[in-house]
Amino acid sequence: MAQPKQPSGPKGSVRNARNASNRPLGFYLILGAITAAGIGGLAYATLRPDKPAAVVDAPEPLPGVVGAARGYMLGDSSAPVRIVEFADFECPSCARFATITEPDIRTRIIEAGLANLTYFDLPLPQHLNSQAASNAAACADDQGKFWAMHDQIYARQHEWSTYATKNPKGQLKSAAQAAGLDLNAWESCFDARRHQARIDANAAEAARRGVRSTPTFFIGGKMYTGPITYDEMKAAIDTARAAATAASGSDTSR
Amino acid sequence: MVVATLALAGIFVAVYLTLYKLGLIGELSCSIGSCETVNSTPWATFAGAPVAAWGVGFYVTTFGLAMAGLQDRFADSRRLSLALVLLSGFGVAFSGWLTYLELFVIHAICQWCVVSAVLVLAIFLVSLWDFVARRTEKVIRY
Repeated sequence: MAQPKQPSGPKGSVRNARNASNRPLGFYLILGAITAAGIGGLAYATLRPDKPAAVVDAPEPLPGVVGAARGYMLGDSSAPVRIVEFADFECPSCARFATITEPDIRTRIIEAGLANLTYFDLPLPQHLNSQAASNAAACADDQGKFWAMHDQIYARQHEWSTYATKNPKGQLKSAAQAAGLDLNAWESCFDARRHQARIDANAAEAARRGVRSTPTFFIGGKMYTGPITYDEMKAAIDTARAAATAASGSDTSR
Repeated sequence: MVVATLALAGIFVAVYLTLYKLGLIGELSCSIGSCETVNSTPWATFAGAPVAAWGVGFYVTTFGLAMAGLQDRFADSRRLSLALVLLSGFGVAFSGWLTYLELFVIHAICQWCVVSAVLVLAIFLVSLWDFVARRTEKVIRY
């Protein structure tokens, strides 16, 4: 009578335990559980709604800026609420904010006179081309076109970022051209790093305020970390306006 | 079985890191430290693809070899054992290099990269144990 064929191989070795009788159902259950947990975890991580920007009380008082720090303002300087943004031109989250969220904020908040926005550089050390981008934008400010350059730099981030090139000057020059700058003036400023001290001072201002990631926003005494949504920013501005109105009301009643 | 289990877990870790690198999941800000720092450096890309994507390839290959080794026809294959040892040995060396970069060059640690490094090391040790055990058994048996 024929005997069932037994798997050959050394008895008791680790790999010899791979014959059918030693592959218990439990093994496949473990594989199934890992697969289910992995797929579930990835699906949750991919599909969950964006986390709201983290909000904490800003360190008080915030007496404007100190030293040579000087941001770039957009909007009416006498607007009732001031938004301060610390951002890194090479930060992908900042680019998402600048290209997707910020257009709405400009139209419905800045241009509506509800607030103004001041941008400060915070070039993070891991973004090797960010300093160049900050210099490129600062040089555009000499010609009164910081915001046009800001928009071009963020829109073209994939062209000049660390992953794309080690020398971003050519791509930044294209951005300068698209922003309508006088290229000769821009290039001499850029090559001389004429505004490096301003950029360093802006980064120092971020450190003074305890900013550790970009983008970070200060609105009405609160610090918002992460790319804030339009709704979050509108709510923050409404709260800041209400607080300012209440404060001025109580001042008047005294 | 242990190698297959570890490799399957590694596949999901590597897929997660790849999606993170591609900006599809993860934190929503660029911070001074942590996974974002590590994933923003030039070392997070290797030969034109995210390092994590190479990790997916590594774990899928390891999982495939380990599952093949569970089939009766490959139960005695020393070549397959050796392939697992060599593949995971390369993985340990590559992970070691990445961990060195994190500690001494980037000065930031990505927790999921550490999880992956531990998995690769465990796969290597189990594969090596298996390979050595088989050699020993051969000597005793023959």
